[in-house]
Amino acid sequence: MKILVPLKRVPDPELKTKIKDGAIDLSGASWVVNPFDEYAVETALRLLENGDAGTREGGEVVVVTIGPSEAAQQVRSALAMGADRAIRVDAEDKAIDALTVVAVLQAIVAEEKPDLILMGKQAVDGDANQVGQMLAGKLGLPQATFAASIELAEDKASVLVGREVDAGVEYKRIPLPGLVTVDLRIVSPTAVKNHVTPDAFAYGDGPRYASLKGIMAAKKKPLADKTLADYGVTASPVIAEKGVELPPARPPGQKVDDIPTLVQKLVEEAKAL
Amino acid sequence: MAGSSLHERLYTPTDEHGMLRQTVRQFARDAVEPQAMEHDQSGTLNVALLRRCGDLGLLGLTVPEDGGGAGLDAVASVIVHEELAYCDPGFALAYLAHALLFVNNFYWASTDAQRARYLPKTLSGEQVGAMGMTEPAVGTDVLGMQSVARRDGDHYVLDGRKTFITNGPEADVFIAYAKLDDRITTFVIERGFAGFSTSPKIPKMGMRASTMSELIFDGCRVPRENLLGREGGGITNMMRNLEIERLGLSAMSLGMAQRCLDDMVRYTQERRSFGKPIHEHGQIQRYLAESYAKVEAMRALIYGVAATVTPQHRNRLGTDACKLFASTAAKEVADAAVQVLGGYGYCTEYRVEQFLRDAKLIEIGGGTLEAHQKNITRDLTRP
Repeated sequence: MKILVPLKRVPDPELKTKIKDGAIDLSGASWVVNPFDEYAVETALRLLENGDAGTREGGEVVVVTIGPSEAAQQVRSALAMGADRAIRVDAEDKAIDALTVVAVLQAIVAEEKPDLILMGKQAVDGDANQVGQMLAGKLGLPQATFAASIELAEDKASVLVGREVDAGVEYKRIPLPGLVTVDLRIVSPTAVKNHVTPDAFAYGDGPRYASLKGIMAAKKKPLADKTLADYGVTASPVIAEKGVELPPARPPGQKVDDIPTLVQKLVEEAKAL
Repeated sequence: MAGSSLHERLYTPTDEHGMLRQTVRQFARDAVEPQAMEHDQSGTLNVALLRRCGDLGLLGLTVPEDGGGAGLDAVASVIVHEELAYCDPGFALAYLAHALLFVNNFYWASTDAQRARYLPKTLSGEQVGAMGMTEPAVGTDVLGMQSVARRDGDHYVLDGRKTFITNGPEADVFIAYAKLDDRITTFVIERGFAGFSTSPKIPKMGMRASTMSELIFDGCRVPRENLLGREGGGITNMMRNLEIERLGLSAMSLGMAQRCLDDMVRYTQERRSFGKPIHEHGQIQRYLAESYAKVEAMRALIYGVAATVTPQHRNRLGTDACKLFASTAAKEVADAAVQVLGGYGYCTEYRVEQFLRDAKLIEIGGGTLEAHQKNITRDLTRP
């Protein structure tokens, strides 16, 4: 079984965003794998391995990123977690938009023919939440988004995906090949079932750390450097960034003397009633 | 953490270093930070957490791959110590005592048979390691040590006492130095050897998330195969690893100082006095700016020197300078943090008082300031 995991590098979300000249100032950023994509890597590994025994027989996890040469570090960290090989398609983040990304991924899927495409539901930089859906649409593949749980059928021909919705959990079974985008809860201890890891086995919370052994092994795993042209794609974004600003500061609170004044202000100023 | 990508590159030279830093930073945030205050207050070592370091492969960081380690360099060791100390200096010290003072020291001096016996369990963290050099009456003047060893058939017999031994109360295996025919010699001691015991924990000012005790050798019988290196070869063993140990301690100072600086910056933006955030007061600005300058100077010095230290290449002058400068600078930054946070700084909740207590240790342990001053001057004035 082959699983393709597209991943994006993003500025470390734990650090403060700085704005300079109408754009986000990334000169001092430290870059990490988009957390949701990291969850997708973790999910892919859990789908293929015996988590209890710590072994994997067969299967392949291929990670792909579209980004500048520095983004190699983020795909290496996915390889260090346990992915098998990587593809980096050279492009500057600013020069591409979701449609460009989809076009590249479409070409890669045609070449790699994965059984499953697993990706984060969105990247935490732009929060666009578009690529998964558009890619499935373009490829004509079944999709299940915001997966909170996933179970690979014993015959490996379908996955049962749990999605948290307002009324509870909605389960969707999609045939493979197909595309699944994952949400935070996919990395909870028993969210991934594959009929290989014992059902009772519980993982630690969250994605695994890259162990030193994994980091050293990652050095020797193949990382193919490609260009947009290799996939017949030209960067012609239809979406352009016009400007970035911080949300306006919250106005200070007001003190009122009595309830009628409060009600009046809620009606007239806040328009909350 | 402040700085540009280029800046990051200087302190994280390869992708492996980058991934290592990311793994350790994440591990420190998720697993080390939440338990730190509890262990500072109870004065106990979190042995289970040390074992998790083993799962990640951190305990054999500097051991070559053929020995079952990761085969990484002094820069990698600096990264790990910096990131761990940012969250829990006491735990970082226990890590240092295990991974550098025991594992790294042991690996470079041991035979294949000794490695087969002791490495697997100390690399995994199943066994805790420690090293004994200092004695109740002998510290910096280590050559004057009073512990003695004599031959007795297929055994050595050790008598003497070591003190201030980090991990002493929990350790299963120890590297210990004693004089055989008046020449310093290294032995591997297992807890359980006849005539060997450890004292109760020694209470201390800081670094309380690691423990220390005395090692007591009272006619301790050590099998001949537990001689580490050759008879009289103790000094060689000792000196071979001093540089990376000083770098580890210096990196802990850096991690502590960075933490105190970050806490200070955050607090001064939130706390207001006289109608404005306190970072707008000139007196506070001096603490912030000087602390930042010290942290940046420490970082540049430590990573610069670390890049020159390998098992084959020593840099005594550089590593002495690192520890001499970083230990005091970190203590000053921690003191500044306590001052800036005022009453909150003095109380335990914000943890900066702990970092001040912890930071003081680096001016003493692994070489006092005075030892570094003496060594540096001797090297500089050597004819």
